[in-house]
Amino acid sequence: SADDELSLLVIVVDVNPIWWGQQAQKEPEFTLSKCMDAVMVMSNTHLVMTRSNKLAIIASHCQESHFLYPSKHWKAGDFAGDESSCGSRDGKYELLTVGNDLITEEIKNLMERTEVRGHQTETLLAGSLAKALCYIHRVTKELEAGQEMKSRILVIKAAGDSALQYMNFMNVIFAAQKQSILIDACVLDADSGLLQQACDITGGLYLKVPQKIALAQYLLWVFLPDTDQRSQLVLPPPVHVDYRAACFCHRNLIEIGYVCSVCLSIFCNFSPICTTCETAFKIALPPAMKAKKKKLKPTT
Amino acid sequence: MATSSEEVLLVVKRVRQKKQDGALYLMAERVAWAPEGKDRFSVSHLYADIRCQKISPDGKSKIQLQLVLHTGETTNFHFTSESSAVKDRDAAKDLLQQLLPKFKKKANKELEEKNRMLQEDPLLFQLYKDLVVSQVISAEEFWANRVSMNSVDHSLTNSKQEVGISAAFLADVRPQTDGCNGLRYNLTSDIIESIFRTYPAVKQKYGENVPHNLTEKEFWTRFFQSHYFHRDRISTGSQDLFAECGKLDEQGLKSMVGQGVRNPMVDLTSLEDKSLDEGYGISSGPSTSSHSKTLKENSNAAIIKRFNHHSAMVLATGLCRQDAQNEQNGETSSTDGNSKDSDFFQPSMKKVKLKESIEYTDLEQENGRKAVTLNLKKSDRYSHGPTLVQCQQYATSQDIINSVNCIRHEMANYTPRLTQVLSSSTASTAIAALSPGGVLMQGGTQQAINQMVPNDVQCELKHLYVAAGELLRHFWSCFPVNTPFLEEKVVKMRSNLERFQVTKLCPFQEKMQQQYLSTNLTGHLEEMLQIAYNKFHTWQTRRMLRKT
Repeated sequence: SADDELSLLVIVVDVNPIWWGQQAQKEPEFTLSKCMDAVMVMSNTHLVMTRSNKLAIIASHCQESHFLYPSKHWKAGDFAGDESSCGSRDGKYELLTVGNDLITEEIKNLMERTEVRGHQTETLLAGSLAKALCYIHRVTKELEAGQEMKSRILVIKAAGDSALQYMNFMNVIFAAQKQSILIDACVLDADSGLLQQACDITGGLYLKVPQKIALAQYLLWVFLPDTDQRSQLVLPPPVHVDYRAACFCHRNLIEIGYVCSVCLSIFCNFSPICTTCETAFKIALPPAMKAKKKKLKPTT
Repeated sequence: MATSSEEVLLVVKRVRQKKQDGALYLMAERVAWAPEGKDRFSVSHLYADIRCQKISPDGKSKIQLQLVLHTGETTNFHFTSESSAVKDRDAAKDLLQQLLPKFKKKANKELEEKNRMLQEDPLLFQLYKDLVVSQVISAEEFWANRVSMNSVDHSLTNSKQEVGISAAFLADVRPQTDGCNGLRYNLTSDIIESIFRTYPAVKQKYGENVPHNLTEKEFWTRFFQSHYFHRDRISTGSQDLFAECGKLDEQGLKSMVGQGVRNPMVDLTSLEDKSLDEGYGISSGPSTSSHSKTLKENSNAAIIKRFNHHSAMVLATGLCRQDAQNEQNGETSSTDGNSKDSDFFQPSMKKVKLKESIEYTDLEQENGRKAVTLNLKKSDRYSHGPTLVQCQQYATSQDIINSVNCIRHEMANYTPRLTQVLSSSTASTAIAALSPGGVLMQGGTQQAINQMVPNDVQCELKHLYVAAGELLRHFWSCFPVNTPFLEEKVVKMRSNLERFQVTKLCPFQEKMQQQYLSTNLTGHLEEMLQIAYNKFHTWQTRRMLRKT
């Protein structure tokens, strides 16, 4: 029944330092701090909705994917004896206090160890999603007999798509679909075709926020309800996804093309040799019409 | 009136039909009835149209004959002659009985097939109604494709498996005592057929004697009474019909034994020891010729012989059906699994058979087939896959350094301020955008078309699509136009499509307009038809150019 079903929410936050650094210079009202605040509000709300709800937060950096929550260093009861951070200072639910402190500490450590590397400027989103799937898988295996769990992944995306991660991304999407894991996407800047596809395939919601400073409101309104509740609510309609493939030779979007049966590469024109795997092909041409000999009609 | 060339086979006067007196005429190809005093036939049916005839039961006062047509119609004829009504009716019935089967097979099968197809497939029936009944295309065109498709099916279903004969069929005829010292045997046609198939001799006797000498009932009574049927067959030499059968059976059994077993795999007699000479082993004398058998042994031997013979005959019916038809005497066909061809059991075949039975392919060693490896020259294409070239945001190294420093600085001083995440004004603008009618909700509240259009309109649209699809399929299958037949067909299909548009599509559109349905449901259909028209037009102009 719905009461016995656990709900696991994994939030994957894009903390690309280059994008956020530029953002801080462009729009000082909305910086990574504000974003992390909004994420924390969202995660607290999720944990408070039902006692059995579970949560995980992964920071997707350009050099690593790091779990902000739950942390390896945290064991329940760790902070009990520590005076400085003992208990909740503002009467908040203990779990939330501890969680927020952990997240803060982890994100600070993460950004501190950021190094300047010119060649690594893109968010490792596919890797973070893969870690999220593995975490979900682990938690599923650790469930008690008879317990069921529904999981979803919420991606908060800042920087642009990484073209080189395409294959890994698609693999992650299909794996999530197989496991019935929803992928929701909340996009801050540019539209992401890959995430649109992910949401369409897994059944999640895609939203491009018009106002970044109201991020918390969007997260709570659109992404907090789980699948069962979403069917009862009026939420933004699904985005039309352009599934057209681009040919390998020109990278143009095509509707009808030729596919090599050996290596599955897509081409817009027929060529007798596939340029990717060098297989030779023959195509049957329509039968050539022979020129008919015209019979000279006798003139009467 | 009957044409002069029609041969009248039988005329029956004093026949009433629909309370009118008249005469019934049975001709070579049809049956007709004319009222009294008139020349013209008011009722006429071809024998091919008649499915069956029925007669009123014997005891009834009204002596009637009913003709049932394929279409389900019935016509009743009442024979009113005072003296010979029954005779007349029977004469008519007998003649019809002879004539009907001749005409039956020709038209029956096809019509039945078509009816069956229409009944089984409601979609097909609907299509038929839409296209043929409303005169868009003719019935022949409709059936042209489909009958050919299904005649293959039919021949496949014809080759059903024959039902075999149970070996206990005679024992299953359990007699019941009918009170006073008699036995009652219930014979069904299945049992009779089994007896005939297993014992062709009995069938022969039946053919000879029934119905000339004996009725069926008498024949079977004699059969069950005779010792032929009984357990202990004592050949009394009486005037039993079946004494001959007994002798034939004995002969048959002897010939079977004489044939011996050809298949060396099941030949038990070859396993006996063969002696060279006296003193060098056991001499295997013939086991059947033994004089000093007791009476009991003799009767046992008789029963065993009968069992063997019976089983052999039952097997024979299953094995060689063609042989049984070709040859008169069923016993000469190979009855015990022997192949007719003795070469079949040469030593080489024997070796192959032995090998087959001792070797199992999955227990053998695996010989893996070598697969061709994939040879990719440009594997980097897969890293980005079939995606558009994205214009990458280019950041200068100075930008990068600046950004990283900035963010590190910011996060070093980060403390969450969860009470100041959102101001109420921003929150309310966000909520406004997310409410129905807001910026983000455009295009979501459209109702699905199937909720806006009534069900009957949807049904009709589906039927239109199916019918249009069928016509378009015929049309497009004509291209490329190679033969004159296809040329004609394509012209005909074009006119059919036009007729379809006029008779079906336009009324539907008008109906929709009357119902104020604003959605354009027929746009796609019209588009498809237009493409077909364009294609026809280009083909026609090209044809004209070629001719001139």
